Amino acid sequence: MCDRPFWGQWRHRSILQALPFAPIILELILRRMYLDLHSHSVSSDDSRATVEQYVKWVHVLRSKRGYTIDGFVLTEHRKFDFDKDYSQLAAEYDVLIMKASELDTRYGHVLVYGVNEGLAKDIDLGDVKMDARELMKAARHHGAIAVPAHPGRFGIGLVDYMEQGEAFPDLHIVERVNGGSRAGENERADALCQEHNFLGTGGSDAHLASHLGSCVTSFPTEVRDERQLVEALLAGDFTPVWLKDTNP
Amino acid sequence: MADRNGPYFEDIDLGDEIGPVELVATDENVINFCQLWGNPMPNRFTSQEMAEASGLPSPIVPGVMSMAIMSQALTDWAGPEALKDLDLVFRQPVPHNKPLLISATVTDTRQEDGENLVECDVLMMGEAGERYVGGTALISLPSNEE
Repeated sequence: MCDRPFWGQWRHRSILQALPFAPIILELILRRMYLDLHSHSVSSDDSRATVEQYVKWVHVLRSKRGYTIDGFVLTEHRKFDFDKDYSQLAAEYDVLIMKASELDTRYGHVLVYGVNEGLAKDIDLGDVKMDARELMKAARHHGAIAVPAHPGRFGIGLVDYMEQGEAFPDLHIVERVNGGSRAGENERADALCQEHNFLGTGGSDAHLASHLGSCVTSFPTEVRDERQLVEALLAGDFTPVWLKDTNP
Repeated sequence: MADRNGPYFEDIDLGDEIGPVELVATDENVINFCQLWGNPMPNRFTSQEMAEASGLPSPIVPGVMSMAIMSQALTDWAGPEALKDLDLVFRQPVPHNKPLLISATVTDTRQEDGENLVECDVLMMGEAGERYVGGTALISLPSNEE
């Protein structure tokens, strides 16, 4: 009982002392994490951007244009770069760099987050005729998650296949906003999400350095690695965001 | 150096944008290019019938002409001898008689073997945001201290 006044006084002082820092503390509490979930480095045959160019571009977006971007995921075509380690580059530029895959299936391209040795043993990552449904099941079995990319893409997107009667019962998340989409394609993805109550991610689909971050996915919690990214996607609390909307 | 119109290396910064330069490749431009190029006509670049036979909805701008257009946009900006490398990926057929927007963005600058190098992303787009051709260019610029 006797220490109560002291405790109360200390708390009162602490609050007063902390008051000038309130906006910073509030920002830290409310701060969302912005990650570009779809990009290709020169490891993909059709990209011309090196990972170093990407991190330099993140610096341009942050320091010169005032946007917020915390990191990006390299989703290389038909492969997973087990041997590549970008941790030094990531630390040097304070950018989170994660690795994933964009696989071809007979129902369009699918982004796979959390790729590991087990999944790569079960699934031939280079098989362009694989069934997306099998990929989704295998991904979950191995602690990964498969997300159809640019589903609204005319001719090759998931929307076309679903209109032809194909069903994907395990599907809950698709890429809703893709930075490489042509007019009308993101709108088709949007309609798909609304019709089926799918959650949606955002990614630039950058093949050039200056396209990185054009759209991103916003998470309320911190993501530090691929495992936490899968957990954050499974938690379902995320939204696609255009780069301009990351400017506080 | 005083009579130079183009930029100096020291003027360039990461994120700088060049263009967009807008132009139209007309039917006549493509025919003239094919004549100069020595490509026998009619072909899928000049004839509707031959384009359709190749699975195209209409005649397209030849890839080498698109490269020439993009090169010119860069050399008009940097100077006639500045372009050292152009590495392009052709993503969609480039149509005739429609506005083409050519732009570049500086993604890196460095000094190497006594040269002042500027790396750019280059893009040829349509009016509705279609990405026809994209890639990278390496440009060498003089220093204003030379």
